[in-house]
Amino acid sequence: MAAAAGLGLCSCSSTSSAANTRSAANQAGRKAAPDFTLTDSTGKPVKLSDFKGKVVLLNFWATWCGPCQIEIPWFIEFEQEFKSRGFEVVGVSMDDDGWKVVKPYITEHKLNYRILLGDETVSQLYGGLDALPTTFLIDRDGKFAFSPHIGLAGKNEYLSEIQSLIGTKQSVENGTRRGLRILAAAVVPGAAE
Amino acid sequence: MGRAAACVYWLPLLCPAQQNKLAVRPPQMVSIKQGGTAVESLRVEVLDGFHVNSDKPKDEFLIPLRLTWMGGPLEAKSISYPKPEEVKVGGDLLNVFTGAFDIKTEFHSPSTAPVGSAAMTGKLRYQACNSSMCFRPATIDIKVPVTIE
Repeated sequence: MAAAAGLGLCSCSSTSSAANTRSAANQAGRKAAPDFTLTDSTGKPVKLSDFKGKVVLLNFWATWCGPCQIEIPWFIEFEQEFKSRGFEVVGVSMDDDGWKVVKPYITEHKLNYRILLGDETVSQLYGGLDALPTTFLIDRDGKFAFSPHIGLAGKNEYLSEIQSLIGTKQSVENGTRRGLRILAAAVVPGAAE
Repeated sequence: MGRAAACVYWLPLLCPAQQNKLAVRPPQMVSIKQGGTAVESLRVEVLDGFHVNSDKPKDEFLIPLRLTWMGGPLEAKSISYPKPEEVKVGGDLLNVFTGAFDIKTEFHSPSTAPVGSAAMTGKLRYQACNSSMCFRPATIDIKVPVTIE
C-alpha cells in the first residue's frame, strides 16, 4: 500500500451514491499509469500503453470476488455503450489458478471486454492490490484521472467519471444518445425499458 | 487538506491493509493412545465485519475454507466444519462463516505410532470479504502438539 501512496493512488473510496461524485485530478497533476504487458485469453501479449488515446477503465478483479461480480455487468454495459467513443474496459484477473478458471468465467458471464491475466509484478506496480475489486480510470494520455476505487463502487459514480473523460455530456446535450438512456436507467431503475 | 494529502496522511487507517482477517487460537495438546482416536477442535475467529467462504460455498468460483493436514504421526479420519450462515451479497446468497467457530478433526493413531511427543501440521486456506471488497486467498500454518501414549 505504501507503493500506492507513492503513486498517488490511494483514495480508498468506495461509495455508491451519486451525490459523492468525485472530481477528476487536474491535467497537470495527473500521474502516468504504470505500463505493463500481460497476456489475454488467446495468449496474445497486451500492453496497457496499446490503449493510449483511449479512456480506459482498468479493473483488477477475480472470479472468487463477490463484489467484483456486482460490477462486471456494469462494465459489460459501459463497454457496449462507450466503445465507439474511444473507451475500453480492461479487466485484469488476479486468479492464482489462471486461465483454467478465468476462461470458463468469461464464457459463462459473456464478458465483452478484454481480459488479461495479472501477476505479482503488476500487482506491485499498482500498490499491492490486497483488496478487490480495485479500479482505475485512465485518461487518453495514459494518466490516472481519478483516485482509484478500492472495493465496490457505484454505477453512477463510474458513469459520471467515464462521461467526464470521454465527453459524453456534450453528446447528450446534442440529442439522442443511448448514453442518456443508460444514465437514466442507473438513476431510475427500469427507465431504459 | 486535499484528498490526496488526506489519503496519504490517513493511509494506515483508511486503506485495506494486508493482514489476516482470520485467526486461529493456539491448538490444545491432543493426547491419544496407540490405536485410539481423539477429536481435536481448532478454534477459528473471523474479524468483525468480515466473512470467509464456508467449506461448501454455493458458487463454483468461490474459494472454500479448507483445513488440510500435511504431516505427523496421526491419521485424520474426518474433518467437520460448522453449519454455515447464509448471507446476501448483491443478489446472491452465500454460505459463509463469521465470528468464532470450531473445525473438528477426528484423529486416529496407528497402533505402530511411536509413543511420545510429536506434532500434527496442517494448513488452513481461506478467502475473506467484507460487504464491499474481497481479499486475496490466504493460508495459515497449523501445528497441533500431540502426545501418544
